[in-house]
Amino acid sequence: MSDLADRQRALVAALVAGEDVPDGFDSAAVLATTAALRRKRAGEVARAWPFLAASHGAAWPRVFAAWAAGRPPNGSLRDGWDFARSLGADLPELARPELAAREARLVYDGRSAPVPRGRVGSWLRRLRSAHGSRAG
Amino acid sequence: MTPRYGVAIGWRPEIAGYVAGLPGLRFTEVVAESLHLHDPLPDGLRTLVERGVAVIPHGVKLSLGGAEPVDDARAAHLAECAAALGAPMVSEHIAFVRAGGLEAGHLLPVPRTREAVDAIVANVRRTQSALGGVPLALEPIAALFDWPDAELTEAEFLTEILDRTGCELLLDIANVYANARNRGEDPLVLLDALPLERIAYVHVAGGMEHEGYYHDTHTDALSEPVLDLVKELCARTAPPALMLERDGDYPPAADLTRELDAIATAAGWPAIT
Repeated sequence: MSDLADRQRALVAALVAGEDVPDGFDSAAVLATTAALRRKRAGEVARAWPFLAASHGAAWPRVFAAWAAGRPPNGSLRDGWDFARSLGADLPELARPELAAREARLVYDGRSAPVPRGRVGSWLRRLRSAHGSRAG
Repeated sequence: MTPRYGVAIGWRPEIAGYVAGLPGLRFTEVVAESLHLHDPLPDGLRTLVERGVAVIPHGVKLSLGGAEPVDDARAAHLAECAAALGAPMVSEHIAFVRAGGLEAGHLLPVPRTREAVDAIVANVRRTQSALGGVPLALEPIAALFDWPDAELTEAEFLTEILDRTGCELLLDIANVYANARNRGEDPLVLLDALPLERIAYVHVAGGMEHEGYYHDTHTDALSEPVLDLVKELCARTAPPALMLERDGDYPPAADLTRELDAIATAAGWPAIT
């Protein structure tokens, strides 16, 4: 792996996976970027999961950002899904039908992209397990 | 003077009705990764293509600035978008969005080094060969920080990439403001150092001040300093299009109209609303 590849990975890890800011960078500016990325992610997840976001009212960006700290993004569908499941019994009433509707329509194993239930989905799941794929 | 395309706004599903209703619109952009080409084009977008509006596929996930080779499937998708839309060009960023299997979910700056220039040039050439002759415009991004070991200034870095790839410049005027402002420099000095004669088109967007930084959010209103920079740009050159980018927290139509009209006024161009 080239030097550039290693250094790019270290920067992304600092921004989304909670690792240390690499030497030489302006830490305050990198941390401000980390916070901005989490706010942006909260907005994207709110578009994919409007009831989940609405059920937290004005606290949504803060609540989601706290959960997202150190968790690399997996796209707004999976991020919202993981967050909703993480709340368990504390998931607000307003957000429950939205999660239930998604659980009814798609199979999500928490590790790879959700797939439709039914024939296409079962074919995709077989294909994935045959290839050992965890691609999101 | 009359610009080739004029004032424009990026097409997004949430504001498709508003965009379709703009009588003077001749140019727009769609996020390439949002198009699923096994489905028909969204109705609002297809109508614009049929009206003769230039619709530019704008990639956000190719990661041209990544040390890893660009994914051929992503480059092919960009080419297929151009074909489906009859687009006169496509665009992407000088940025990376993933590394070593981690997705950043955002456009990140690359170091302004010779090694990074080589990596970007290789990725741009790989993408150009997938595009089969459709021009690619490259957009420098906004960032709150720079890499520590710059060998080139932002303008030198950009000019070298454009020279070696033959690409045109997608200049984001709000990014010029953001980068200069966050470095504590004068946006006009940065603007004057850029190769303005190579502009394919221009992005204009809103942002916000937060804890000492200017964030290029695309979810806030256009600011006066950015509009002033539009005016300065148009006093120096005649870009083909000035396109407003809005990516969330969509305001009422009247606010978008006010912003598009403010861009037209700053440029001295006809309103498209």
